[in-house]
Amino acid sequence: MLDARIIKARAGFTVEAHIRLGAGERLALFGASGAGKSTVLGCIAGIENPDSGEIRMGADTMFPPPLPLHRRPLAYLTQKDLLFPHLSVAENVVFGLANGAAAEATRWVGELRERLGLEAIWPNRAANISGGEARRVALARMLARRPPLVLLDEPFVALDRPLIRDLIAALDEWQRRLGFMLLAVDHRAEILARLCPQVAAIERGRVVQQGDWNAIIAAPATPALAQLLTSA
Amino acid sequence: MRSNWMNRLAMAAFTIALLYPLAGLGAPVGRWRWDGGIPGSTASAVRVSLALTALAIAIVIVAGTPVAWYLARRAGRDRVVWEAAVLISVLTPPLALGLLLSLAYGPATVIGRLLIRLGVPASNSAAAFVATQVYASAGYYIVAARAAIAAVPRELEQTAALLGLAPAAVFRRVTFPLARLGLAAAVSIAWVRALGEFGAVIVTAYYPAGMPVQIWINLQTAGMPAVMPLLIIFLLTALPLPWLIHLLAQARDA
Repeated sequence: MLDARIIKARAGFTVEAHIRLGAGERLALFGASGAGKSTVLGCIAGIENPDSGEIRMGADTMFPPPLPLHRRPLAYLTQKDLLFPHLSVAENVVFGLANGAAAEATRWVGELRERLGLEAIWPNRAANISGGEARRVALARMLARRPPLVLLDEPFVALDRPLIRDLIAALDEWQRRLGFMLLAVDHRAEILARLCPQVAAIERGRVVQQGDWNAIIAAPATPALAQLLTSA
Repeated sequence: MRSNWMNRLAMAAFTIALLYPLAGLGAPVGRWRWDGGIPGSTASAVRVSLALTALAIAIVIVAGTPVAWYLARRAGRDRVVWEAAVLISVLTPPLALGLLLSLAYGPATVIGRLLIRLGVPASNSAAAFVATQVYASAGYYIVAARAAIAAVPRELEQTAALLGLAPAAVFRRVTFPLARLGLAAAVSIAWVRALGEFGAVIVTAYYPAGMPVQIWINLQTAGMPAVMPLLIIFLLTALPLPWLIHLLAQARDA
């Protein structure tokens, strides 16, 4: 269970969001660029700290005080792949696992490698693979540790549609099986809706509406949200 | 095409002018002599310089790397203060450094008297030699190492931490491998700076004489013929070692 109350001043407005996520639930944070979605995710991930508020997950208090990044029970995937360029694809995928070399042989890592089509590039240096391949490697690396909470911050930017479809299908399948909580951010409704049945719409740092997609599309709470849904 | 040739020509002229001092090695100075006045002094100077400089650089790396990391990664507004302190150490002229060290660690100060009580001579000793080299080179190492560490994207370190790695492991597995070329350059600069230190060392540690001081002694007592062998060894130990570190670092990177 994730319970995050985040208050953080930004240029022009203050983010004041309360996000709750039950075990195995998925939630989309939807809003225009600059609405504060990534701030919410960054605070939960620990990349930035709220000015005040409280972030708890199960028995862990992640804020305050800020829990060090390496103790946070979560995985965080951003627009950037952030692969370790000096390591191979294989070493990247098992990077967060104890005894990485042995972990490569496990069934789970094998499944990630096969399902995400990484066999051909498995021994390659991460610096020498394409953008689409890097995205798949980053996804495999994130999931390899079987995190209880997955944070996705616009992870499908600049990818072609077949790859987006494929990655969403893989995430969907693994989320059902592993049961991790999923919090995804994007400004494109059609992508989020495929991944998360529930959505919280954010405007200028505040959740203006929360519910399932159909309800929000049928009766958007604000004119700006209505416009965003139409243009998305 | 033509401008490219002109550029190369200009570069060649500049390089020749830059490296021309090396032609001095072929200058007719008379028959070379291995030692100046005291037999064995040249070999002793080489031993002293290499062993004590290696020790000084080890100390600089062990103490300076965490400082460089702190300045690159953790320091907030306090950074200005620490960087100014490092810069003061870099910008202090060597002779002034030597005099200041002699005064600050001399018998007139509390620390100086403490050192005497502990039996550590604050001048003309191996300890004084190493300490002076550390003072002379630490600032240079920290400035270069800080730049090398800062060049590693912070987001990669955060990614590694979010994959469960504690800070020390993040440094070992991400920061260090990605910064190693720059860190090798930092070690090279510190090595050359420490090995070649003359102005400060001649004040604090005339004995045991390292290569720079011995070269000066030989020059004074026996002239250029007694300088040349030691000069060549001095150049060979100052230049190739940093090159070797660079080559090793690059080979691993390839």
